[in-house]
Amino acid sequence: MIVHINHISQAKKGAKKSQLGELASLVTGSLVDLVESGQLDAKIAPSLRIHLDWIQYKTNFRDPVTVRRTTDASGKPLALAELAIDLRQCQADKLPAQLANAARLIVPKSSGDNRFYLTSYQPFRDCIIWDFNRLFWRHLGEWEAASGKGFEAALPSGSSDANRPDAVKESVEEFWKLLKDLETKNQLPQEIPILEIGVGAGTRAAAFIDLFQEYDQSRGTTYYDRLQFILGDYSPDTLARACASLARHKDHIVPSPLDALNPFKALQQYRFKVLYVHLTNVYDNLPFDDLIRRDGHLYLVEVRAYVSEASVQRLESEFGLAQKDLPGAMQRLLEGGPHAVFPPGDEAKGVAFWRAFWDCFKLEERLRALDDRDESHVPPGLTWAHLQDLLDEAPEDVRFHISRGAAESFANTLPLLHPRGYLQVQDIFVEDMDEYRKGFKGPGKLDGSLVVWVNGALLRAVGARAGYDVHFRPFTFRPGSKTSVMYTTQKP
Amino acid sequence: MKLPLLPTTVIGSYSMPEWLERAKNDYLARRLSKRDLDDMHDAVRKAAIKDQESAGIDIVTDGELQRDNMIDYFTERIPGVQVDLGSKRFYYDFYDTEVRSKLGTGSLHLTDEVKFLKTYTDHATKVSVSGPHTLVKRIRNSFYKDEAEFALDLGKALNRELKELSRAGVSELQIDEPYYSGFPEDLPWAVKAINAATEGVDAHVTLHICYGNRYGKPSFEGSYKYLFPTILDAHVHALSLEFARRGEEDLDLFKQFKAPFTLGLGVIDVKTQDVESPALVADRIRRALEVVPAERLVVNPDCGCVHLPRDVAFAKLAAMVEGTKMVRNELGK
Repeated sequence: MIVHINHISQAKKGAKKSQLGELASLVTGSLVDLVESGQLDAKIAPSLRIHLDWIQYKTNFRDPVTVRRTTDASGKPLALAELAIDLRQCQADKLPAQLANAARLIVPKSSGDNRFYLTSYQPFRDCIIWDFNRLFWRHLGEWEAASGKGFEAALPSGSSDANRPDAVKESVEEFWKLLKDLETKNQLPQEIPILEIGVGAGTRAAAFIDLFQEYDQSRGTTYYDRLQFILGDYSPDTLARACASLARHKDHIVPSPLDALNPFKALQQYRFKVLYVHLTNVYDNLPFDDLIRRDGHLYLVEVRAYVSEASVQRLESEFGLAQKDLPGAMQRLLEGGPHAVFPPGDEAKGVAFWRAFWDCFKLEERLRALDDRDESHVPPGLTWAHLQDLLDEAPEDVRFHISRGAAESFANTLPLLHPRGYLQVQDIFVEDMDEYRKGFKGPGKLDGSLVVWVNGALLRAVGARAGYDVHFRPFTFRPGSKTSVMYTTQKP
Repeated sequence: MKLPLLPTTVIGSYSMPEWLERAKNDYLARRLSKRDLDDMHDAVRKAAIKDQESAGIDIVTDGELQRDNMIDYFTERIPGVQVDLGSKRFYYDFYDTEVRSKLGTGSLHLTDEVKFLKTYTDHATKVSVSGPHTLVKRIRNSFYKDEAEFALDLGKALNRELKELSRAGVSELQIDEPYYSGFPEDLPWAVKAINAATEGVDAHVTLHICYGNRYGKPSFEGSYKYLFPTILDAHVHALSLEFARRGEEDLDLFKQFKAPFTLGLGVIDVKTQDVESPALVADRIRRALEVVPAERLVVNPDCGCVHLPRDVAFAKLAAMVEGTKMVRNELGK
C-alpha cells in the first residue's frame, strides 16, 4: 500500500517526536496487525492508499477515519480504495478499532456502518452543503441571534478583510494612479465605471467612494464626477440596504442585481468598459468539485450525507425526532427555513435543530472514474483545455478543487474589463497545484456556512486563455492573514 | 478581376479550431512533427477558403491559420531577427525576439500563400502582413538608434515582400497596424515606415488599423481622431477601420478631413458571439454611405474571426454578405 502524507509543516528544530508522528506510527502498525490477523484482505492491500490528513477546521464533514472506494461511471466497484485518517481528530486509544472498522468497509458490498444516509451520491457541486449554505445567508439573522455573535466574528480575523482602512486606501491610490495615467495619455473615458461584486451592506463601497472623493478633491482632479460605482449582488434586499448606506453618493452608484456566476449577463452594456472590479470572499462561497488523479487516471469525488448512530440518538433526545423523521425535518428546514421545522410556536427550537444538524451531519465519499467523454465536471464557459493546462502543472498524485463557481464567475467577469482595467479578489487561494499535496483546503464548516479554498491555479489557467496574467500577493493589512489578493494584468 | 460594388472581404485569421490549438502546442512541446502540423494547416486553410466562398465573400484569404499569431509568423522569417524558439509553450504567446544587427534582405517566402490561394480558389485574393510599427513594438531593439529607424528598415524589408506578392498575382494586399491606437504619438514615423513598405508596390494596398483583438478583447480604447490629419500622408489605397463594436461616431472624420482613401468598413463585431442580422449590417453600410461614396467602400469585419467558434464566424460572414447584398440592391447594382 502507498501512504500519502498530506499535511506538511516545518517541525521545530530539535523538537521531540511529535504526537502526529506517533499517531502515524499507530496507523501503519495497526494496518500491519489487520493484515496479519486477516481482517484486512492482503489482496486489497496493494491497491490501497492511506492518506494522513490534518484538517484545519475543527468542524468539518469528515469522521476521523474514512473509506473511499472507487467506481466506474456506472457505480460498479473498481480495485483502488483509499483510507483517510484525520490526525487532528484521531485519538490514539480509539484509532485501532476505527481502522479495523474501516478495513471491513473497504470490501465492496460490506454491510453499513450504522450510518443513516440522507442523500444519494452526488458531486460536491450538487450536494446539500450548498442548500445549507443558502439557508445560512437567507436566515443569517436567526443564526446570529442564536449564536450570540455576528457571522464576521466567526471569521479568523473577527471581521471582514474587505473593510480594512489601509487596504481600501491602497485600492483608492492605485485606482487614482490608473486614471491619472489614462488622462495623461488622453485616453480617460468619459464615464469611469467600477464594479464591486458581493457588496454586502455596502461598507467597503462606502469607504472606497468616501476616500476616493477626498483623494480626488485634494489632488484637484475631477474623476469623482465621472465615477459610476456599480454595486453587484444577487439579492435586491441587500442592494437596497447598500444603496441606503451610500445615499450621499447616490448620483454615482448603480445598483445591479446580478448572478455572481455571470456578471456579464446583467452588465453587457459595460463590455470592455469597467476599469476596476473588486470582490472579497465571494469566490470561496461558490460551488466546487473535487478531482483526484491517481496513477494517471482522473476520478470525480462524489459524496452522500449521513448522520451517525450517535448523532441520530442526540437529535432524538434533544428534539424528539426519530430517525425516520429526520429526512422530512431536513427537507422542511432547507425549503422553509428553521421556522418550518416544528409547529408554530417552536421557532427557537427550529434554529437549535438547524445548528445541531449542521454540526453533526457528515459526507461519505466515493471516487467515480472519469473518461475522456465525460465533461460534466468542466465548469460552464471553460473547456477541457483549461483543465489540461491545470493538470500539466499538477503533481501526478493529487486531490484538488475545481473551483467551478469561481472559474465561471471569473471567466464571465473578464469581458467587462476595459483594456487597462484590472480585477482584484481578496480571498483564500491555493496559488499553486503543488500546495494541494501539503495541506487540507476545505471544505470546512464555518459556524453555519462553508469555507473552501479557491483554486487560484485554475483561475490562472482561465486568465491565460483570456489574455490575462493572474498574480497573487499576500494581504498584508492583517498579520497572520491567510487571505491573498489575486489581481490581473493584461498579457503582453 | 472585376469586383462588385461594395466588395466584401475578411480581416486577419479565420476561426481557430481548438484541436488545432492543441496540435500547435503539441508541436512546440515536440509531440508532433512539423510535417504533420503542416498537413493540418493545409487542411484547415482549404476549409477556411471554402467557408469564405460559401459565405459569399468576394476577396478571400487563406484564413491565416498557419500563423501562430500576427508577430511570430513574421519575426521567424525576417532575416536578422533572432528568435528564442524555447521561449513559449502556448502557441498564441509571443516568442522572445531581438534584433542585434541590421536586418537582412532575404525573402519572407509569403508568396507560398499566393500559390496556395491560386490553387484552391478562383476568387479575388488577399494576403496580409503585420506592419512595421506593430513589429517594432514586439521585437527588442539592440541595434537601431530608435524605433523610427528600426521601423523604417522593417518597412523596406516588407516592401521587398509586398512587391514579390504583387508579382505573384495576389489581388489585394493588406498591412495590419493594431498598435497605432495604443501609441498615437508614434504616428508620424509610423506612417513614414508604411510609405517605405508600399513604395513602388503595384497592387491595391489596405492599411488596417483596429484597437487590437488579442484573446478576443481590445488592447486599447479611444477615438480614431488621433489618426488625423497625419494618416492622410500614408501612401495606401484604403483604410480599414473598426466600427461595429465601437460605434460609427468616427465615420465623420472621413468627411471632416476629406480622406481620399477607400474605407474598409468594419460591420461585424468579432469580440462577441452574437451574430449580427443582415439588416443591422445593411444599416451600418447605409450610415457609411452618408460619408463615403459606394465606389470607395469595402465591407469587412472589424478584425479577425480567430477567437470565434467556426459556426459563429461563418454565420457572421454570411450575415455580412447578405446585408451587403441588401444595400447593393437598393443601389440598383
